[in-house]
Amino acid sequence: MENNIEWLLHGFAIAASPHHLFLMVLGVMLGILVGVLPGLGAPNGVSLLLPLTFGMDPVSAIILLSCMYWGALFGGSVTSILFNIPGEPSSVATTFDGYPMARDGHPTRALTYAFGSAALGALAGVVLITVLASWVAKAALAFGSPEFFAVYLLAFASFIGMGGSPPIKTLVALAIGFAVAAIGIDTVSGAVRLTMGVDELVKGVSFVVAVMGLFGIGELLIAVEEEIKVKAVSSKVEWREVGRTLLKLPGHWWVLLRSAAVGCWMGITPGGPTAASFMSYGLAKRLSPRHAQFGKGEPDGIIAPEAADHSAGTSALLPMLALGVPGSATAAVMMGGLMIWGLNPGPMLFVEKPDFVWGLIASMYMGNIVAVILVLLTVPIFAALMRVPFFMLAPLIFIVCTVGAYSVSNSYLDVMLMMGFGVIGYLFKRLSYPLAPLVLAIVIGDKAEDAFRQSMLMSKGSLEIFVHGKLVTTLVVLSLILLVLPLILQMIGRRVPKVAATD
Amino acid sequence: MISRRALEMLTAALTGTFGVAVCVSSLELGIAWGAAGVSAGTLPFCTGTIVTAGSLFNLVSGARMAPGETAIDADNARRLAGLFLPAATYIAAIPLLGMYVSSVLYVFGVLHLQHRASLLRGLVTATAVLLALYFLFEITFRVYMPRGWLGNALGF
Repeated sequence: MENNIEWLLHGFAIAASPHHLFLMVLGVMLGILVGVLPGLGAPNGVSLLLPLTFGMDPVSAIILLSCMYWGALFGGSVTSILFNIPGEPSSVATTFDGYPMARDGHPTRALTYAFGSAALGALAGVVLITVLASWVAKAALAFGSPEFFAVYLLAFASFIGMGGSPPIKTLVALAIGFAVAAIGIDTVSGAVRLTMGVDELVKGVSFVVAVMGLFGIGELLIAVEEEIKVKAVSSKVEWREVGRTLLKLPGHWWVLLRSAAVGCWMGITPGGPTAASFMSYGLAKRLSPRHAQFGKGEPDGIIAPEAADHSAGTSALLPMLALGVPGSATAAVMMGGLMIWGLNPGPMLFVEKPDFVWGLIASMYMGNIVAVILVLLTVPIFAALMRVPFFMLAPLIFIVCTVGAYSVSNSYLDVMLMMGFGVIGYLFKRLSYPLAPLVLAIVIGDKAEDAFRQSMLMSKGSLEIFVHGKLVTTLVVLSLILLVLPLILQMIGRRVPKVAATD
Repeated sequence: MISRRALEMLTAALTGTFGVAVCVSSLELGIAWGAAGVSAGTLPFCTGTIVTAGSLFNLVSGARMAPGETAIDADNARRLAGLFLPAATYIAAIPLLGMYVSSVLYVFGVLHLQHRASLLRGLVTATAVLLALYFLFEITFRVYMPRGWLGNALGF
């Protein structure tokens, strides 16, 4: 523990350089921009920036990318509150009470509640990482291939069991991601796999291309279909109101605490920020004595989803750093970046690159403070951006995605793949297939497969290796429970209406 | 126009086709325990099987939905096509006209011709895109954009 604080101070020394502070500001601003714009969000914003970080040193690169993530999380809330348009899927729940409060003449109060609770949620996530990360990593140092495979299995199972989407659809999305990850040269045998006759696919399918299509093009199609009508409320920030609202925030400590706990849990087990914000909103509504006020501008209805959203987004980096299993789609993209920079996400990172790890953790404290200040200062500017008609923004965003996909490896095939992923992204979103597990599987598919094949080599082809040893067995059993969980819940769910009907 | 039921079934058919293709293609690689451990096709075959089986399930549960609910009505379809068709044309034009010319034509076409924005607005936005692409990517980040058949013919 004392050691952690020492390392954290060391991390602050790294993160507080003028160069890194500049990158924080830049990252947060770009993040707010992609968070505000429809069709661009945290996952594809970070992917777009990724090819541009290859020349940077890893600490600077991760500070830039993670601050973009914080910025995007904040930016998504701005449009939710002022325009009733969630800029990010994870800020959908913020529209329920945020927009009514802003519409009724209190936009500053709504924004301050959102940003304040978001910052506290993020703080909870970072503190959790500070306390737990090195401990988890130390425990994971003893992991062999079977344990790692079991951890991956647990991550995938928790998507199916707790992700909130229809379980079979989640399973299909996951398996497609794995198949896409397998395309190209097999790292173990050197065989060329699943290219389906397209020779250029030997290089594999980059997750950046997939993210650009799934999230970028897919979301543009969704947005144009819903025909966004901007009904803006005033976007002026009154500073006195900011102060007054911040002083009221401690009075909501119980909601804050519970929401942060929900968020941390959903971030570490890869449920993701979107599921966390909905779950936290649902809980707050059910448990609140002012139950009837929800949906009409109730402060707790803003605090609950925002605190959970940000604590989930932040704590999603804990399993990424300590185990090499990202907890959200954006964390998956960042982890892909880590691997491209030549780092090996997982427990060895804490031993080999402590500067990187603790620089990042320290930057998370600072980046979130920078984000709160910047987002409050720039609300009017970004709100003005929303008045640009969508038909003008759409082709520009489309070109950005196209160029982004092309620049990954200067390949036209990638542009066509992006288009294909775009159509899939649209269909999947419309029919509530989850996209995060698809991206996660593309990024860590190879690692999971390697772990499995290594384990098989160790056991000479016997699956029994996954029930030898306490840790492996526990993890595998836990995964199986999570896999069966939706089935059980469905059965209980079916029985409840019947009981209600007989009453 | 397109019912939720049809959309569910279409998507399941798409994912199912992919699943079968993955299975067939990994069978060729071998899917058993080989001399060097687990053969390269084993896990892809498993994922292919899961995709196929899951798609079948989704197909059946889609088919059992009531046909009434509309997923995409005529208005939605018109707006979707209004975004998708110009975008697909733009992508298709890149090998022919190169990234710069097709981007400029795409922006100008969508703004001025499709959405009746003023000529000035169309021209200014298109020029801004051209300059931004060139200075941001070609100069700052040294990404060489494809010139296309046209650019090569003109010697760029």
